Parts: sequence; structure tokens; C-alpha cells
Amino acid sequence: MHITVIFIQSLIVGALVGFAAGIGAARMFNAPKVQALGAFRTLGEMNAAEGDPVSHFSFGLGFFFNAWASTVGAGAFTQDITHRVIPNWAAAALLIRNKKIAETVHNPKKMGIAGLVIGILVVTFLNITSSAIPESLQVTAVKVLVPAANTLINIVMPVLFWLAAIDAGHRSGLFGTVFGGLAGLIMGNAVPGVVLGILLGKGVDELGWRRITKIMLVAIILLFVLSGFFRGFDIETLKSLHLSTPDWLNHLHGLVNPE
Amino acid sequence: MQNDLKDLEHAKSFWFADWAFPIIVGLMSAGVFAGTSMYYNYGVGAFNEVAIVAMLKAGMSGGSYGAAAAFGASFLFARILEGSLVGILDLGGSILTGVGIGIPAILLSVGIKLPMESFPIALLTGLVLGVIIGGVIYLVRKFTIGQSSSTFGADVMMGAGNQTGRFLGPLIILSAITASIPIGIGSTIGAAIFYAWKKPLPGGAIIGAMIAGFFFPVGLK
Repeated sequence: MHITVIFIQSLIVGALVGFAAGIGAARMFNAPKVQALGAFRTLGEMNAAEGDPVSHFSFGLGFFFNAWASTVGAGAFTQDITHRVIPNWAAAALLIRNKKIAETVHNPKKMGIAGLVIGILVVTFLNITSSAIPESLQVTAVKVLVPAANTLINIVMPVLFWLAAIDAGHRSGLFGTVFGGLAGLIMGNAVPGVVLGILLGKGVDELGWRRITKIMLVAIILLFVLSGFFRGFDIETLKSLHLSTPDWLNHLHGLVNPE
Repeated sequence: MQNDLKDLEHAKSFWFADWAFPIIVGLMSAGVFAGTSMYYNYGVGAFNEVAIVAMLKAGMSGGSYGAAAAFGASFLFARILEGSLVGILDLGGSILTGVGIGIPAILLSVGIKLPMESFPIALLTGLVLGVIIGGVIYLVRKFTIGQSSSTFGADVMMGAGNQTGRFLGPLIILSAITASIPIGIGSTIGAAIFYAWKKPLPGGAIIGAMIAGFFFPVGLK
């Protein structure tokens, strides 16, 4: 049956993600000596809870409700499940029994095991409850969330990243503007371009034109050329400039995209 | 003595060693990729923000996968570089968005559906992708650590990313207002209650809109 399949798959997914999130979070306290998997905001927030189990738990709980609403509405867990709920609840579970954070929250083995259990519980709960939600609620969620999300991705995010690039310095502003415009044209969204612009601009600011920044520039150009080609941007451009497409270009497209 | 023991632990044990990193990323990727497969098949379980999952949804419901593919892939690229340099691989950009949204979108856009349709293959695909990503970081780290002190504007991007999150609450309420009057009222009240409780606005705005939508349903035009 449908719900049984979801249940079993949720157990597996929850166990994998929870285990890895737990280890990754604990390793963050030992970075950069140890390569970790997590996020700076997770590190900051977990430090802010100062080893108090109740703080860790209630912080996770606030985001858990948000994630629940989002899962019910759109089937999306939000990134908070791995960034906030699992690490903080795993920390809370360990701290109830032992208050010493060096032996608990900073220990990848213990955090991994606690994360595993919490991952299974959280993922299964979210998936099972949301697949049993009435149709009218899902319709409402789609009508409300999809337009909001579209505005966010297509207008708010590009503008915010763009302004951040400009504020971050002359070089990242320039690269961000060029790559952002190109990305908007080629990829349909300017954000990736602006992000790459910040990355390269700040990289050059701090390191200069060294081998690593030159490799980055080449990789970025390659990324634009390839995604432009695969999305047929070259042919579209020729068409809108009222030029004819050369045969060899059509053949090349026919080779990689036989439709 | 205590410190010596800890250093030994750092170097040797699975829990601290750099060689274990690809395995940890592999496990995470397997779970996240399989989660996206569940979303593809049953409409639940994607490990990402509504806004980002909506890009994948746009492709699944007949539109273009381009936005999701480009967005996910470029985030993955940027995060791999950054992760190996700063010592923390950003889970959200690399795995949740890159592996969870970008790579599925690329595969689907060229007509490869099997890794999404079959759960075991999704697990395997995710595992392999994660081990590769973790391996690349392990290598980059080996050759660059200590040689570079740049964060490549990670702070700038993180600042902008956090700013973006703040827009979602008001945007949801504005969108609810255009859906119908009761849903708009519900959403406003929900958001206000959440704000009063010092919780993030979007949760309250969504719950309020849905409660109102349950009693006063709207059609999906």
C-alpha cells in the first residue's frame, strides 16, 4: 500500500540523513582542523544555545513547526530539518544526560547516533502526516505558496544578491552584474551568476589573480558556454537577431539532443 | 595526556578523520537524493525550501528544468570550492540544493528518469554522487589547505541568503490576500500570532491560510 511504502522509505531516508547530519554538526566544532558538513548559521545557533538542553530543544521545535507546515503545504521539508531540527534535537537529547558539551555535542560518534534516531522520527512523522492531508488544504497551499515562491526566486533573491555583490566591493559588483545578467539570459535566473560573481570578485580581492582564481574564471566561462549550448541559447539568440542558424550548429545540437 | 589522546583520535578514528568525510557526504547525499525521489513519486519528502522545490516542480509539471538545474549546479560548484577552503561544507547549498534539486533536474531534463522513479537506484545514485563530492573536497583540501586564506565572499552570500529568508513571510501573506478574502485574513492572523510568539512569520502565515482554506475552499484555476 501507498502509505506503507512511504513509511519504509522514510525510515531509510531519515536514518541516513540524521546520522550524517549528526556527525557533520559535531565535526563543525573541530573545524577547520577536521573537514565538517553543516553550515555557519548552524554552528552559530548551536553555540548560542550554550549547552542548555531546553534552549536546543525549543529552538528546534520552532523550526519543526515551520517545516511541518511547509511539508503539509508543498511536500518540502525546508532546509531547517537538517540545519536546525536534527542537530539541535540531537544535542538536546545528549545534554539531558550529560551536561559536558565536549563529551556530547562535540563528539561526532554520539551526535551521529542521536541524529540517526531523531532523523528517523522526524522524517517519518513529517511524511506520514503530510500524505494524509485533505485535498482542499493542498490546493490552498499551492495557491498561496507558489506565487510567493516565484516572486521570491525571480525578483527578491536576484535583487538582494545583486545589491550584496555591489556593496561587497567594486570587483564583485562588476563580476556580479556581468555574470548576473548573463545568467538571467541563459539560465533563466540571475542568482547563480551573481553568486559566481561574488565568489570570483572576493576571491580576486583577497588573493589576486593566482592559479586558483584563474581556474575559477575558466570554469565559470565553461559553465556559461555549456549551459547556454544545452538550453539552446545560441540558436535562440541567432533567431532573435534575425540571422539564420548555420547547418553545422543544428547538426551539433541534433547530436546531443536527439528529439 | 588528554590532548595527546585527542590528537590521536583526530588522526585515526573514522569520526574525526578526513578520509571519512566522503563517506559521511555519501550517506547524506543518498538520503537527500532518495528524499527527492520520494517527492517525485509521492509529492512529499524533498529536503529543501518551498521556493527551491518549486523550481523542480515547475519542470515536473511540464515546464522547464532549466532554472532548477542551473541554480542547483552552480550552487554545488560554488560550495565545493568554498567548503574545502573554510573547512565546513555548506550542507544546504551543496547537498540539499545541488544533489537534491540540481542533479535530479539535470537528469530529468535529458530524459533520465530511472534514478528518480526507483527508490533503491536513487539511494545508490545519491551515495555515489556524495562520495565523489566528498572525494573532490578531500583532494582540494589536501592541495590547498594552508595555502589560501580567502573565504571567497562566503559571508557576503550568507548575509544575502539570510536576508532572502526574511522576505518569505510578507510575500506569503501578500499572495494569500490575492487568493481569497478568508485566506488572506487567516494568513494575516496566523502570521501575527507567530510573530507575537517570536516564531518565524512564514509558518504562521501558511498555517493560518490553510485553516481558512479548509473552511472556505478555493478552486485551483
